[in-house]
Order: sequence, then structure tokens, then C-alpha cells
Amino acid sequence: MSSERRLRILVELGGSHITTSRLCEVSQRILGVTSAGIVLYTDEIPLGSACTTSPVAEAVENLQHALGEGPCVDAYRHDRPVLEPDLANPAAPRWPAFTAPALDTGARAIFAFPVGVGSARLGALSLCVDRPGTLTDDQHADALVMATVAAESLLIMQAGGSPGALAVELEANSNFHYVVHQAAGMLSAQLEVSVREALVRLRAHSFAIEWPLAAVAADVVGRRLRLSDDAG
Amino acid sequence: MSREALLAQTFVELADSLVDDFDVVDLMCLLADRCAEMTDAAAVGLMLASPDGELRVLASSSEAMRLLEVFEAESDQGPCVDCYRSGGPIVGRDLTAADSPWPDFAPRAVAAGFLSVQAVPMRLRGRTIGAMNMYRRERGPMPDIDVVAAQALADVSTIAILQHRSALGAQALNEQLHHALSARVVIEQAKGVVAERTGLDMEQSFARLRRHARNHGLRLTDVAQDVTTKAVPVASLD
Repeated sequence: MSSERRLRILVELGGSHITTSRLCEVSQRILGVTSAGIVLYTDEIPLGSACTTSPVAEAVENLQHALGEGPCVDAYRHDRPVLEPDLANPAAPRWPAFTAPALDTGARAIFAFPVGVGSARLGALSLCVDRPGTLTDDQHADALVMATVAAESLLIMQAGGSPGALAVELEANSNFHYVVHQAAGMLSAQLEVSVREALVRLRAHSFAIEWPLAAVAADVVGRRLRLSDDAG
Repeated sequence: MSREALLAQTFVELADSLVDDFDVVDLMCLLADRCAEMTDAAAVGLMLASPDGELRVLASSSEAMRLLEVFEAESDQGPCVDCYRSGGPIVGRDLTAADSPWPDFAPRAVAAGFLSVQAVPMRLRGRTIGAMNMYRRERGPMPDIDVVAAQALADVSTIAILQHRSALGAQALNEQLHHALSARVVIEQAKGVVAERTGLDMEQSFARLRRHARNHGLRLTDVAQDVTTKAVPVASLD
């Protein structure tokens, strides 16, 4: 059965030009969700999205990246699907920081599936629906296969790139939050701390002033904000 | 059975063979047989390139076809070879033409009873991994609808084969991907450190890191790592 699902997805992906945005579009369409995205991780660090189909999926990803919690983080970390059919009335509350701002984006149900092949773990497939409700068994089975096809496709794309560098196709529709890492580098010099510590301080500041991490980072990089003054 | 039904059934059969450990040759044989049934081709053959770019016969819908394909691969001359090299289709080439681009190959094909040949590439993202030959007992181009069906089969098989290959090398590729991603992060962080210490903007900071790496024969990622961990002070960069 799963090979039939797989083939249907391959046919949907269609021919010779698989791109990250095509993977996301097909995910959204065949799974019948409002928006979809593919998020990449390296070790335990959320890197950002390879692609998203809508501003909602992008905002949900940005939140998880900034807060370090959410369905994709859990799906990746525990290597299993994470299902939240009603973010507003969860059976067991989780993600205390993520939930409220995620609801503000318009997402009501969120599902995350680990993206990987065998022992190779790459990230998560993120699915958002604008109304509450569980996935059907069929959707769930399709999502599992889609996540595997996505992983294989991402690896094929990387195989086409030059060694040591990220393949151009993977970069094309991505948002890997480079400005946040630049800001962490600047802060580590300002505060004389490690970049890891600087990233924590940056996140804490963003959370404290309720301002998006990317915007705070842009202010640091634009030299409009120095954290040495206010972060004790 | 209608063409659509046959195409759908073929996809299901292909799906059945796409189990975790499917055999590429089996898949290609199925594809060749189905393509021969579905189009007006008398025989269909598939060739796949080895990693060093040499074409190998993988599947043929008949024994006559198989001998012809082996000759084509050995003599490095014929429609599959041209289709693979150019990455584009070969459309309705007359095998009896006096000015055939394949002087050794064409007479053998005609002797086997074929008058024209058509070929579609097996391509994914600009990379051609092989080609599918369709031999016909008539002259002239194949009907468009047959070409579309043939290309659809070739496309699906290409993806299946590449995904099979990538799954085999998944761990190595995954490490490569993680390495590339981590390297990008460290470089961005190092740009930030340089920008803060020097007042340069991000682009200038990147140029500084790169110049230092080049001047000292070091890898950019290693320089970036040393700068972020403060093992190398920014002031000492070239």
C-alpha cells in the first residue's frame, strides 16, 4: 500500500524538475491542508525552512525557530509524528511560549512529521490547517510517505551540489535565518561570550520585548541595538 | 484496455516493485514491456549510464531488440547514445535514410525489421541518467500521445531510480548536507564577530574572512570556526 502512495506522490511531483517549493505545494495539495513547509535541523539546532507554501506556514516556522519549541522541534527531536488537532483546546498543553502566537497566525491544527531516510534525520514536514480537526488515517499514511519522499528528494538535491556547500536548489526558496547567526556573532563579540550564549541572550531579549527574533537580529546587525547595555 | 487504464495499471505495477529493496533491472524490464504495449512501438529498450558515464543495456522488450541495443552500446553509436549525450529526445528518425548518422547501426536495425526509431531521455533536474529507445515498423514520427505516455513512464522511473540510489547513500549524503548547513551557520556567525570588532559591514567582513583563508591556504569554514571560538583574534586576520 505504501508503495502505491509513494508512486502517486512521485507522479504528482511530476517529471524532471523537483524543487523544494514543488515538494511543499504537493504536500499541501495531496494532504489537503491549508499550508505546508519543510523545516531543516542540524544536530539540535533548528536551521529554518527549505520552503513554505504560505505566510502562515512561514510564521509558524519563525516562531518555532525563535522559541526553540513547537511541533516540528518535537517531531525532529523524538523522531515521530507530533499531532495537535486543536491548538486552542489541546488535550495536554505543551509549548507554553509557542501556542498563543501560533494561534495568532491563523493556524488552528498543526501536524509535524519527521523528515528522514533510515537513520538520516533531516528535519520535519510541517502541516497547518485553519480549523480544528484530526487527520484521517489516509492523510496520516500519505504524510508519512510524503515526508520520506521529501527527505530523499532533499538528499538528491544536495547530491547535485558541490561538496561542502549547500546545493543551490536547497537555498532557492529557503529561509535559514542567516541574520540571526550574524547577530549572534556580533553579540558574542560585544558581550565577550560564546556564540551559543549570545544566541540565548538574543532569544531572551526577543521574548522579553515581544518582538520577532529576526527583527531584533536585524537591529543588532544594523547597529541600532546593543545588548551589552540592557542584558545583565 | 484503454491507454489511461494501462498507464494507471503500470503505475500500480511500478509501485509494487518500488519496495525498500527493489531491483532496478526488474523495474526497467517492466517499464520496457509496458511502454511497448502502450505505444505503437514494436520494441522498446532502456539504457542506463554507469557512474563513469558508460551506457549499459538494462532492459529490452524482445531478444532482437536486446542484441541491437548491445551492439549500440558496444559501438557507441545509435539513438540511445545520442539521446543520452544530448539530453534531448530523438524524434522519428528514418533508419533507411542514406544519410543516417549511424552508418554501422542503422543497417542492423533495418535488418531486424525496424524502419524508424524514437528516443526519450531519462532526466531529472538537468541530469540525464539514461535513455529509452522505441523502435517502430513504420516510418515517420510516433503519435504525440504515445510520446507523452513514454516520457511519463521514463520520468517516473528516473525518479524511482534516483531515489533508490539516494536511499542507498542516504547517511553519507545526510552528513554532507548537515556539514554544509553547519558550515553556513558558522560562517554567518564569524561574519558577525568580524563586523562587530572592525565596524565593517557583513559583505566586507565575509571578504576579510575569505582573504585570510586564501592567503593562508586554509578552509573558510575552519577560519570561521576559529574566529567564532576566538581561537584566532579578528585583529590578526589579513
